[in-house]
Amino acid sequence: MVSCREVIERLWDYLDGELDPVWTEEIAAHLAECARCYPQYRYEFAFLEALARQREAAPKPPKELLERLRELVVA
Amino acid sequence: MAETPGPTFESQLLAAADAVYRFALALTRDPVRAEDLVQETYVRALAHRDQFEMGTDCRAWLFTICRNAFLKGMHRAEREVVTEDAALEALAAAGIHASVLGADPEGALFERSDLAEAIQRALAKLPEEYRTAVMLVDIEDQSYAEAARVLGVPIGTVRSRLFRGRRLLQQDLLAYAEDAGLLRSREEVG
Repeated sequence: MVSCREVIERLWDYLDGELDPVWTEEIAAHLAECARCYPQYRYEFAFLEALARQREAAPKPPKELLERLRELVVA
Repeated sequence: MAETPGPTFESQLLAAADAVYRFALALTRDPVRAEDLVQETYVRALAHRDQFEMGTDCRAWLFTICRNAFLKGMHRAEREVVTEDAALEALAAAGIHASVLGADPEGALFERSDLAEAIQRALAKLPEEYRTAVMLVDIEDQSYAEAARVLGVPIGTVRSRLFRGRRLLQQDLLAYAEDAGLLRSREEVG
């Protein structure tokens, strides 16, 4: 059984889908049962989701720039 | 049955314009400079189109060109050096979480739609190396390995920069939320 410290050290790797299947399974099982680690998992998950939403919230390229790029690419 | 042809090089370039602009904006923090940087990126990409491997991620290739073009215009002294350990950063983030346990244990703050501007400002304040890692992985959805290729550094360095950047962002956003009264102060909660 993995310790809370081992889980917290790997929590971001876990959320990023960067762990191997064995660790992924170990951590998922730990989180399902650990009342101490689970809230932090939810917290980091909400934080990363907020960052991912920036993709849509970020400014779009101006039309003139897109026009210039199109001219460059199809020239 | 004939195989459906994949998207052309040109169509992939044009489809990546939004992402390259976001990335350029994150690097330069200036809309005018970002436009110039995107244009330079596309000029370079077209000049070196033989170096692009069809079937690979065109966005990652453009991010690499974009960052190289950006760094070329920077003085060496302006670049930050990172030596922190990723595991320590992950544990330090646990400290941040522990400090908000009473006020916001599951990160309800991050679900607020009015936080977007504060996130943009906090991102802009990050040192370039952290900001770039956060942009690539958290916003452009690149893997650690893809981000490492774009940045020309080992995967461990990407993790360190990413985790440090995330922790600084969390600190900044918590301070903002307390000042704006969106979250009870950590001192108040005790």
